[in-house]
Order: sequence, then C-alpha cells, then structure tokens
Amino acid sequence: MRLCSLYHKIDTQSPVQALLGPVLHRAHDNLTKPTELLEDNPGKRILLLGNEAIARGVLEAGVRLVAVYPGTPSSEIGNNLTAIATRIPDFYFEFSTNEKVAMEVAGAAAVAGVRSMIACKGPGLNVAADPFLSLAYVGVRGGMVVVVADDPSMWSSQNENDSRYYALMANTPMLEPSDPVEAKSMLIEAFDISEKLELPVLYRTTTRVSHTRAPVELGPMRDRVSTVKFDKDPFRFVPIPSVAYKRHPWLLQQIEKARRISEETSLNYRIGEGELGIITSGVAFNYAIEAVSTLGLKAEILKLGMTHPLPERKISDFLQEHTKVVVVEELEPFLETQVRRVAQLNHIVVTILGKEQGYFPRTYEYTPRTVIEGLAKILNRNTPINWQQIDSKAEELSSLPSRPPLLCAGCPHRATYYAIRVATRGKAIYPSDIGCYTLSIAPPLETADILFDMGSSITTACGIARVTDQDVVATIGDSTFFASGLPGIVDAVYNRHPISVVVLDNRTTAMTGQQPHPGTGLTGMQEKVSPIDIVDVCKGLGVNYVRMVRPFDSMATLVSEIREMVVWVRENKQPAVLVSREPCALLAAIDRQQTGTPPHPYRVNSDLCNACKRCLHRLSCPAMYFDSETNKAVVDETLCNECGICAAVCPKGAINRED
Amino acid sequence: MRIVRNTVDVTNVALSGVGGQGVLTLAEVLAKAAMLDGHNVRVGEIHGMAQRGGHVLCTIRIGEHAKGPIIDPGTAHLVVGFEPIETLREIHLVAPNGCVIMSSHILLPVAVSMDQGTYPDHDAIMSATKRFTTNVIEFDAMELAEKAGSPNSLNMVMLGAIISTELVPVTKDSALQSLYDTVPEQFQQVNSAAFNLGFAQVGGMLRL
Ligand code: SF4
Ligand code: SF4
Repeated sequence: MRLCSLYHKIDTQSPVQALLGPVLHRAHDNLTKPTELLEDNPGKRILLLGNEAIARGVLEAGVRLVAVYPGTPSSEIGNNLTAIATRIPDFYFEFSTNEKVAMEVAGAAAVAGVRSMIACKGPGLNVAADPFLSLAYVGVRGGMVVVVADDPSMWSSQNENDSRYYALMANTPMLEPSDPVEAKSMLIEAFDISEKLELPVLYRTTTRVSHTRAPVELGPMRDRVSTVKFDKDPFRFVPIPSVAYKRHPWLLQQIEKARRISEETSLNYRIGEGELGIITSGVAFNYAIEAVSTLGLKAEILKLGMTHPLPERKISDFLQEHTKVVVVEELEPFLETQVRRVAQLNHIVVTILGKEQGYFPRTYEYTPRTVIEGLAKILNRNTPINWQQIDSKAEELSSLPSRPPLLCAGCPHRATYYAIRVATRGKAIYPSDIGCYTLSIAPPLETADILFDMGSSITTACGIARVTDQDVVATIGDSTFFASGLPGIVDAVYNRHPISVVVLDNRTTAMTGQQPHPGTGLTGMQEKVSPIDIVDVCKGLGVNYVRMVRPFDSMATLVSEIREMVVWVRENKQPAVLVSREPCALLAAIDRQQTGTPPHPYRVNSDLCNACKRCLHRLSCPAMYFDSETNKAVVDETLCNECGICAAVCPKGAINRED
Repeated sequence: MRIVRNTVDVTNVALSGVGGQGVLTLAEVLAKAAMLDGHNVRVGEIHGMAQRGGHVLCTIRIGEHAKGPIIDPGTAHLVVGFEPIETLREIHLVAPNGCVIMSSHILLPVAVSMDQGTYPDHDAIMSATKRFTTNVIEFDAMELAEKAGSPNSLNMVMLGAIISTELVPVTKDSALQSLYDTVPEQFQQVNSAAFNLGFAQVGGMLRL
C-alpha cells in the first residue's frame, strides 16, 4: 500500500561508494503479493492483473527460462517473476540488456529443448525483430512464446504500432488473449502449439489486457527439467543461405499445419445468434459483447483467439451464413483485410464493414462506446446514451488546468536538466531518450528536442552535430545506456562526432517500476554481482573526456561541469560524457523509509521569500506551490523529497532545511 | 451460447485522483472486497508514464456480466474524486442519476503554480458538477485522513465513503476484511480508522 509513503526523505550525503554497491530493488509496487502466484492450490480464484496471470501461466506451463527487458505495459510480468524466481525449482529468469538479447537468450534455450519465453512492449519487438524472424526459419525444439504488449492510445509508448503484422511477416502462429483469464489459459495452449509446430508463438496483449484485473482461477503447476543436452544440428540451426533456402518452404508448410490447428481450436469460437455477424479479437471482443447487449441486437460473434494463421474455413462459413459482417478490432485492419481476402477467394457475396468504410477508427484504444457508435451507424440507429450532449458539456470543462505526469519531487533529473539549461542558456540542441526523463519536454525544463527510440539520444546527437554548428547535449538514462546506448558511443568515438552526452544514472530502470540493470549489481535471480560502471565503460570505449558528478552536491559545480564539457567538445571535436549519478527519488525514499530516518523537509522562510516565483517557474517541483493568500512560495512537507535543489535556485536564500 | 443483456446488472465505479494518492490501491481493495462477497469484478488501470504525479483514472466494474475494464461517459453509478478538479476531469463518466463523492482538499497542479492556468473557485466547480448530476457528496477527506493518523490513508477514507453510500454491492465487513488482507499490519489501525471516519461522514450526510 502507498502508506509506505514514496515521498519520504533522501539522504543526499550517501557516499558514492555506497551507490556503486548493489542497490536494494523493489521491482514491484502492487498489492497482489508475488508469492500468491506460487500457491499450489488449483481451483482457487484470485484477483490478478493480466500480466500477473501471464506470470502464473509461466509456472503452469512449466517454462524453464524467461528473459525480458521491461517496458510498459509488459513490465509486471518480469517484476513478478523476478520476485519469485529463486523459489521456483529449475527456473531461470533474467532482465536482459535489451529485447534483442532477451529474444536470443530465450530462443537458444528453446532450440536446446526447454520451454522459454520473452516479454516486451510493442517497440521492444521491433528491437528484437531480427532474431525473431530467424527463429521462425530455424524453429525451436522446446516451446517458445514471445509475449508482446501493444499500447493502443500510447499511454506509455512512443507509438501505437500494431505488432500483429510480425506474425504475418515472420510466419509464426499468433494468439491474442482478451482478458486476464485468457492471458493465463491461452499461454498454456501457446506452448503446446509451439511444440507441435516447432515454431515460436507470438502472444499479443494490449494495455487493457495486461493492465486489467479480474478473478483468475489457478491451475496445476508443471515441473521443469533441470538441464537438457544440446543436440547439434548445424544444418538446421545455422541459416547460411543454403540452409535458409530449405527452411523457408519448411516454414510455409508448418504454417499450413498451424492453419489446421486454427480451424480446430476452441480458441476460435462463435457466440450468440442473429443475422448480423461480428468478427473480433483481443480486448475488443469484450466491447463487442457489451455493445450487442446494450443495443439489444441479434448478432453472432466469431471470437478469434488464434489470429494467425486465421481459420479460413471457419471464417468463410461465417461469411456465408451472414449477409452483413462487421469486423471489430483495435488499431490496424489486420483481421479485416484478411476477412476480405477470404471472401474474395471463396466468391462469397457479403457486406464486410469496418475501418475501410470509416465505421471504426484506426487510432487509439477502443471502448464499448466506440463499438456501440460504429454498430449504431451501420444499423442506422440511435445510441442509448446521448454522448454528443455529454461531450459538449464536457467540452466546457476543457479549460481546467492540466495535470500531466511530472518528474517526481526530488527527482535528480530535475537538477541535471536545470543545470543543462543554465549552462547552455537553453540554446543547445537536446536529443532525449526513453525513460522518466523524457518528461523534461515540459516547461520549464524544455530539454527534449528529438527522440526516436531507445538509445537514439546519442546517435541523433551525432547526426545533428554533423550538419549544424550548434552545441548538442544528449541525455540518456542508465538502463537505456546499457540497453542500446553503447553502439552510439562507439559510433561517436570512432567517427569523432562532437557531442556532449549526459548519462542520467539513477541506479535503476525507474519508469517501468525499478528493475535492476547491469549498472546496479543485482540480477533477475536476485543475485548480487559486480555492477558495470558507466564511467569505466565509456573510458574503455575510448571516450577521452569522462567525468562523474553528484547532482545534489552543488548546483554551481553541476552547471560548471556541463559548461566545461560543452567547451571541451567544441575545442576537441569529439564526444564527451558526464555521468550524473544520484539514485531515483523513489529508491531513495524507500531506502530512508526502511532505515526509519525521520523526515527532514525543506521550508520556505516567508520573511525572506519575495514572491519572485523563480523556484516555481524554473524548477516546477511538484512539492512546491504558490499560496495566493500569503503571497509566498510554499513547500508541501508531505511531498518534499529533500533534494535541496529549490534552495540552490532561490536568489533570496529563503529556502532552507529545518534543523 | 447466448449473449445475455449485461449492462443492467453491472455497477460502475470511477476513481479519479492524482498519482501517489493511492487510487490504484483503493481500486484493488474494493475489487477484492467485491470478490469476498461473491461478485465478479474488473479493474481498469494505467501504469508507467501515467503514474508520475499526473491525473489517474481507475475503473471498477462489479457484476456477473462485467467483461471489459472501461466505463463509458454517462454510465458510472459512482464517480469518486480524490481532489476537486480531478473530479471534474472525469465527471462526464457519471450517469444522469449517478452519485459523485468528492474530497474538497485541493492539490494545486504545477501549471497553476507556474501561472499557466487558474484553479476554478468552489462555486464554479460545484455548478459544473451539478450540470451532470445533482447527487454530490462533498467533504474534506484529507482532514479525516489526518485525523485518522496519516494523510496517506486518504484512499481508505474514500473507501468508507463509497461503502456508506450503499451504491456498491459490497458489505462493510467485506470491505474491512479486504483492507486487513491488503494493508501491512503496522498500517491497519490508521487505515481502518480512516475507513470508519469516511463511512460515518457520508452516513451522517445522507441521513440529513
Ligand atoms: S527517475 Fe525516479 S524520481 Fe525521477 S521521475 Fe522517475 S521515478 Fe520519479
Ligand atoms: S521542495 Fe525543494 S527540496 Fe523538496 S523535493 Fe522539491 S525541490 Fe527538492
């Protein structure tokens, strides 16, 4: 429970040495205790998040190895598994360096002959696409499932790409659970299908499957083998051209076998009856059911759990039996296009309605309303609720002050970004990266100018530095640095790109819930190991200017460190790295709370505060506000995380720590 | 199989607040309580980027035919706002005769501190709310949480208030049981005190 106030105190004095040691990680912040997932109590029903249900499914399917790189909305799968990994016999879990690594680690384990799984977010599968496509060619011997969690509406992602097309491109079977119950039960089937076909199975969820809680019934658990023997078969598993040449026809033959499974499986079923037909998959199935009942329609739904390869006969039968078929799916017209294809191939005269005619949107997640409105339009009916009226009333509220997500109170990134702005007078170009720190896009920090994907801060900096004469200061987090910053550093060193790189080393993967990474000294199996120090890495890669700074020690030092680095880069025409190291405010707060350190917040001395609002306008710490009655700035002591940055910013010296 | 008419028997509750106020925790405690009472539930929540001190919306649907997690505009039986403008932000979800529980304690958004927006006054908030429903229960939940022993027990004040409306098919006993099952022992006393204060507050207001 949040009672363990995340907003407690930070000890800014903790020695650097301590920071290099293992940091205690709490990789989960949810209430279902991960240990509940270990319960050997088939038949018991517990409330589980979709991702927790998948983690439980790992135990019920007897998966031997799981490798993940955290990414919302997939993160809780790994968070729960790491918490229980040491208590599962013959089980290995790792937070891999990135998704490509995870795919290769898990892929090889499945080639060797055990069940394995990877989990990542949509853009993560893009990173892992290369090995995924090869894996389909060589196939696996143990079952392998690739869980990809897409994010319609981009709640926490840089795009809402529809990963289902990977199943088409790679020629792998694909399953799409629609809720937490299916998230577990279909995972077990996915492993069976994978083993039957010797192919990895794509297992695609979306935010509203992964982040919905529902009662889920526990099933029996399955044991794992301890070790297997790797039987060599290089002319299968090394796809040199002559091997790949033979594997491609094999793959197409497997996918035909998969189609037979798709025709027979109970994952593809019909529900309801009526002239109107609806074909749907994933979370949209729930909305279709709700829409049909809300509108009181007579309709039959073909619910597809296995969406590649599609059960073409089942679909063509369904099309034959209905004169009008509506396809309801989020994002791209993936099913719709194929349903049209089936109709054409089988010369079926039927009206297929969906995104192509504009009845359903291709953007953002669906709601029951989306489906009700689409069906109402198709059937020329009114919706049961007058949403236009509600919308127009809500429109009048659009002037409410916004409350976007922010860097936490006491977040060390705020200090570093403030210093970057001061040192470069806001005039440099600021390539950003993926993590909490992307939130620095907002005023007043405004230090995010370009972002493509994980690791792109360094490489986009290279491109900009080559074609402009502006200073370029890239920022990248520690976890992202390991995940895909390294090739960018190598590129910058070798090609002598004049860029300044600030590594925001907060000792964790903060955005996705505090997972460890190679810089932290803790593994997914909760083992303490030697952390890899980013300073050493950069030196080893040949960066000639590498310095480390503690952002909370002194604002003046922080600003001058950045200024010196930028000047050095200008003069030496090569990359420089400054590591700004301070634990995430949430980690620090948990740490203080565990050691029982009493709160010691900062305060504004109202006699000294002259209401210039510099602290509010330049820092925007969420723990500070302006009291219009007293006409003074105020620190909310329950929110203050004691970083002291506001004190450094106040020109009147009005902000101090209480004794 | 037949598709049954499912929209009538589902109770929809929307919780709206600010990241860090314990909105997700409340949703989980309430959902588990509903399960203790033998109901089917769905909880819809958003993690990641959406949790960094920004606006948070969490939905709970209770009833045999609850399937998806999402509540459409105009269909919430109960909208629970942890803060005045966060209540307004989701007020469009409330059903025409639905009920709103709103804590009057204000958390100024950073935008207001930066002079990039003004916080509406109390009358404006109330009249905007009442354009959607006239059933509005307003009280200072923060005051009650502090009285219970910790500002962090705000969410359990809200839980007590929710149960007290009798709009949700969850008994007081189950709600408290779920609270005990979920909250670590050292915080149980504060949280159950908070629950009882919220329960009594709304009970008193409804009897008037
Ligand atoms: S890095 Fe840590 S302190 Fe900063 S915004 Fe993220 S979670 Fe908060
Ligand atoms: S109020 Fe000041 S000391 Fe406290 S967290 Fe915010 S910036 Fe840091």
